[in-house]
Formats: sequence, structure tokens, C-alpha cells
Amino acid sequence: MKVARFDPSRELIVVDAQVWGPGGREKRTLALALDTASSETVIMPEIVDELGYSPRDGEQITSVRAAIGKEQGYTLRVARFASLGFAVPDFRIHVFDLATGWGIDGLVGLSYLRQFNYQIRSAEGRILVERTTA
Amino acid sequence: MNAAHAHEPTISEPLTWDEIRARYPEQWVCLVEMDRVDEDNFEFRSARVVGHGTTRREPLDQARPFRDRYDTIGHYFTGRSAGPVLRSFM
Repeated sequence: MKVARFDPSRELIVVDAQVWGPGGREKRTLALALDTASSETVIMPEIVDELGYSPRDGEQITSVRAAIGKEQGYTLRVARFASLGFAVPDFRIHVFDLATGWGIDGLVGLSYLRQFNYQIRSAEGRILVERTTA
Repeated sequence: MNAAHAHEPTISEPLTWDEIRARYPEQWVCLVEMDRVDEDNFEFRSARVVGHGTTRREPLDQARPFRDRYDTIGHYFTGRSAGPVLRSFM
């Protein structure tokens, strides 16, 4: 069982995450919002561009329905992604330009979370996480 | 300060997160040498700042000269998240 911590006084549940570049050497550590209502794990384009990925590496162009309308993004497989105490190789993320002003670089969505059982203890600012065997 | 000097890559002394927030309020920063309390969480004892600015992009640009030296660079906002929350369904 891993324990991920967050600041319970913030408006969002913000957790630490790491994303690796195509060579598997360079990585960025980021603040992402844990969002159980997001189907995808989202990273801002600036971050993946800086790591050496490009839209040409993407798998497919996607449309995202958000409160402000429909926005385009793309899916991309990154060499490695880690958050909540676990790491996953060859992980598919959604590269999408979120609205600025949140102080985060993306979202940890269900595409990542569904590999785990987790308990969000909001008042304590802790998330208890275990990987499922399935 | 001449123009060339203004664009020289700079790296700070080791700072705590509280010191970084006080020095660069409401800014995005790039951090290296993060001395983590534990690897799975954000908390760190100290880190050096290699870029800062009001946009996401600015500190990433400033940190570029340090990429050969540091495999791991942190990218964080020193303020608090604000604004309406969007949902992202595909």
C-alpha cells in the first residue's frame, strides 16, 4: 500500500507525477489534479514538447468536450508515467491545453486510476493506493 | 545589465518551498536538485530554481541550458490553483 499526500486546503486534489521523455532518461516532475470524472490522463502540450515528443508521435487526434466548448488534442504514448507511488511504462496520455489559472500541468484520470484501488481521505490529505492484480 | 547578461542561465542557491514561493509569488518555476522527503510525494527539503515566470513556458525555456546536467526537472506553480474547474470527457 502506497500513500500519496495532498494539501486538503486546496480546491483541487493535487498530486505529484512524473513523465519521462522518449529516451527514458529525462523526466519532468509535475503537479496534476486527481480527477475521477476525467476518462483520460491529461498533460499540457508545453511539457511533452519540452521532453522531446511532438504531435507527429501522437496516436490519434481527439476532441474534448469541456465547459467552454469543444477543444482538440491528441493521444500519445509516453515512455513512462508515474504518480501515486506507482509507475507505468508505455502509458497513453491525452495531450490537451487546459485552461490556464489552475496551477497544474494536467489531470490524473481514470485511464491511470483504474489500475488501482484507492481511498481518498480528503480531510487527512492522503490517498491510500494499491495496485490491483487484474 | 546588458542584453547578453540578462539571458544568461541562472541557478539559485538551495531554497525551501516556502522561500521559493516568497521569492517567486504566483509564478511557474523549474526546479532541480529537489531533495525529496520521499520519492512519491511533492514535499522536499530544498531545491534550486533554474527558471521562473508568469507563463508555463517561460521557466521551461530558461531551464533548457540545464537539461544536459539534470535528468529531472520539476515544473510547479507557486500560487494556489484558482478558477472554474473544467471536466474533460473524451
